[in-house]
Amino acid sequence: MQKSEEQGFAKILGQIREALLVPLLAIVTAIILGGLIIWVAGGDPIAAYRGLIQGAFGSPAALSETAVWATPYIFAGLAVAFAFRGGLFNIGAEGQLAFGAVTAALIGYALPGWLHTTLPSYIHIPLAVGLGMLAGAIWAAIPGALKAYTGGHEVINTIMMNYIALNITSFLLNGPMRDPDPLNLSARTPEIALSARIPPLFNIPGMRAHWGFVLALLVAVFIWWLLWKTTLGFEIRTVGANPDAAKYAGINVKKTIVITMAISGALAGLAGAIEVTALNYRHELGFSSGYGFDAIAIALLGKTNPYGVILAAILFGAMRNGGTRMQFLTQIPTDIISVIQALILLFVAADAIIRFIYHIRAREEQVVLTRGWGG
Amino acid sequence: MKKLYTLMASVLLASMLMIALGGAVMPVSAQGTAPDCTQATVFCVGDVTDVGHVDDKSFNQSTWEGVQNAKKDGFADWIQYIETSDSKDYAKNISTFADAGYKVIVTTGFNLTDPTYAAAKQYPKVMFIGVDQFLSKDATHPDWPLPNLVALVYNEDQSGFLVGALAAQMSKSHNIGGVFGTDAVPPVWRYGEGYRAGAAYEDAKNGTKTTVTNVYHNDVGFDKTFLDPPWGATTAQSMIDKGADVIFGGGGSTGNGAVDKAAADKVLAIGVDSDQYYTLPEADAYLLTSAMKPIPGPLDALIGLAKSGKFPTSGLYTGTSGYAPYHDVASQVPANVDSEMQATLKGLTDGSIKTNVPPVKPAAPATPATGGGLSTTAIIIIVVIVLLVVAAIFYFRRKK
Repeated sequence: MQKSEEQGFAKILGQIREALLVPLLAIVTAIILGGLIIWVAGGDPIAAYRGLIQGAFGSPAALSETAVWATPYIFAGLAVAFAFRGGLFNIGAEGQLAFGAVTAALIGYALPGWLHTTLPSYIHIPLAVGLGMLAGAIWAAIPGALKAYTGGHEVINTIMMNYIALNITSFLLNGPMRDPDPLNLSARTPEIALSARIPPLFNIPGMRAHWGFVLALLVAVFIWWLLWKTTLGFEIRTVGANPDAAKYAGINVKKTIVITMAISGALAGLAGAIEVTALNYRHELGFSSGYGFDAIAIALLGKTNPYGVILAAILFGAMRNGGTRMQFLTQIPTDIISVIQALILLFVAADAIIRFIYHIRAREEQVVLTRGWGG
Repeated sequence: MKKLYTLMASVLLASMLMIALGGAVMPVSAQGTAPDCTQATVFCVGDVTDVGHVDDKSFNQSTWEGVQNAKKDGFADWIQYIETSDSKDYAKNISTFADAGYKVIVTTGFNLTDPTYAAAKQYPKVMFIGVDQFLSKDATHPDWPLPNLVALVYNEDQSGFLVGALAAQMSKSHNIGGVFGTDAVPPVWRYGEGYRAGAAYEDAKNGTKTTVTNVYHNDVGFDKTFLDPPWGATTAQSMIDKGADVIFGGGGSTGNGAVDKAAADKVLAIGVDSDQYYTLPEADAYLLTSAMKPIPGPLDALIGLAKSGKFPTSGLYTGTSGYAPYHDVASQVPANVDSEMQATLKGLTDGSIKTNVPPVKPAAPATPATGGGLSTTAIIIIVVIVLLVVAAIFYFRRKK
């Protein structure tokens, strides 16, 4: 893939087509299979998919909700995809996201009190979001450092760090950070100050799409630039492709691994921080159930390419959002969405199935997603 | 390659065609075509569940049963539900019904209290019923009561009182126990204290002295307090070991754990909220009764009031309390106990018997030290963990 400089424009177009081919066919196949499942279960697949599309794209409000759903998916998907590029499997996005959200919420509601003053938005928002990112970055850098300096496998460590993060979050939201409102019956923080809130894109009631979505798109472009246009990105991709060669070429592999995980964690933390500052205005236990895990599917479906991640995140967001209208119109349980998502993931991960069904020749080189144990 | 793109294009085209054609030919819903709810004469009722499924053997299910009853009784022309899959969708799901012209929207559980209140203000022409939501005029709900929002609430202390009275009469060791979720949730507190009051009421009548041991699961967070069957089971076990022979399990699956444990130890158990004879079949042989706050009946009646234009404007509608039939243990309940229970229910209903349980747990003397102390401990622990990790990294790094 590095040969692209010498290749012509048409060749690049061909590559894009090649890159999109398998995911697109996987989606189509999964949707057809999902329709079959609905039909076998006694539902009407056509009506279901019509509801799904209506609910996801049928009106300005629907589009806005799709953007709301896609925003955390883009950030978290980028986090996982970025780590993949560095040869690391970051399963810990869930925990990093939770820490990002808790930190952003804390800065959001408590900072004005600590400073005994109100803050302007242009200071308060970047502080809340930035420290949320930092929290995610630190939380991910720990398994990164364990991997680099002790050889502890990042898959195991990020999974365990998830449990630590979620339990610390649970403790904080039930204890010191709990909303003191006597009517509050949930484990949640107080609402963040008005100055820490990211405004919505449109000032229309019912349109919740916020500037976080635009930020997500910009961050995706930034990550693409970082990976393919900077020395650091080159080092990260080289370590991901072959750490031994990278070491031989004079790249500090250990440092690169820690940096890769830290940036990945910062992206996951950003997902949580944006959910808090732009949408929920507080952190509540159970709000982020599964974003970090959906992110793995999104990164795979997007072929670990930042632009692919945007498309995959919008697709997943649209399905999660449109599911409500699908159920409203047809009473088909929204679980079918999870089934279709799982099928997509299956077909993308095991693309031999798709290549066999549609008679596509395999490319000569495959993207190395992650190295094996002890690599 | 060319062949391939032709194939892909035709697959896409075919699926698009199918959707387009299908839309024209096929009815929208498998259960019949939805009427146009925006018309004034079509009375549609929508049900937004809490996160989970409509057949959860709990509140979501009972609420949907109530809505279905309203359809059967002719109050609703068309009913539909939306299962919430993520708490950030509450408002969206409510709006889906409101925008489609539904006349009544039912929301389930206290998590939807604030979204329902907000929606009631946004859609003043739609009537909202909040099942098991506590509302009062306060900082968060300054405009309560709203004319189009009614909270369906219960006197849980009366249900608790009834099962407490029964437990006191049935206990041979005069030692009964109650295993509950956190008492910071008012209904849980009312169940527990009602249980105690009911036992005391029978003691005073019969000259007995019943030991009531109530344990609330206050030591964990709100996310776990109702989802901890092992804790419920071990707590019930320790009560049984100390001689308790009736166990009341109140509070989600934590209470279910206690009921199951009691039944496994061949000790009488009491369920909560709905008749748990149907939801905990493994405990049936020892399930004495359940403290009921039945949702379907009152909800059905409320929807009827909405249909006939007599929707309550007081903001609250109190559902009837009660206790479930004895089912499999009916033969063990003496006739005089049964008649006493019926008299107690009657007394509670007409107000001649009072439970004297305050609606919420009286505030304990403030202990500000705990909050601060906890957070300091937490910060120290976190700092120590981080330092240890950093130290470990440098240790291993130097060794190499």
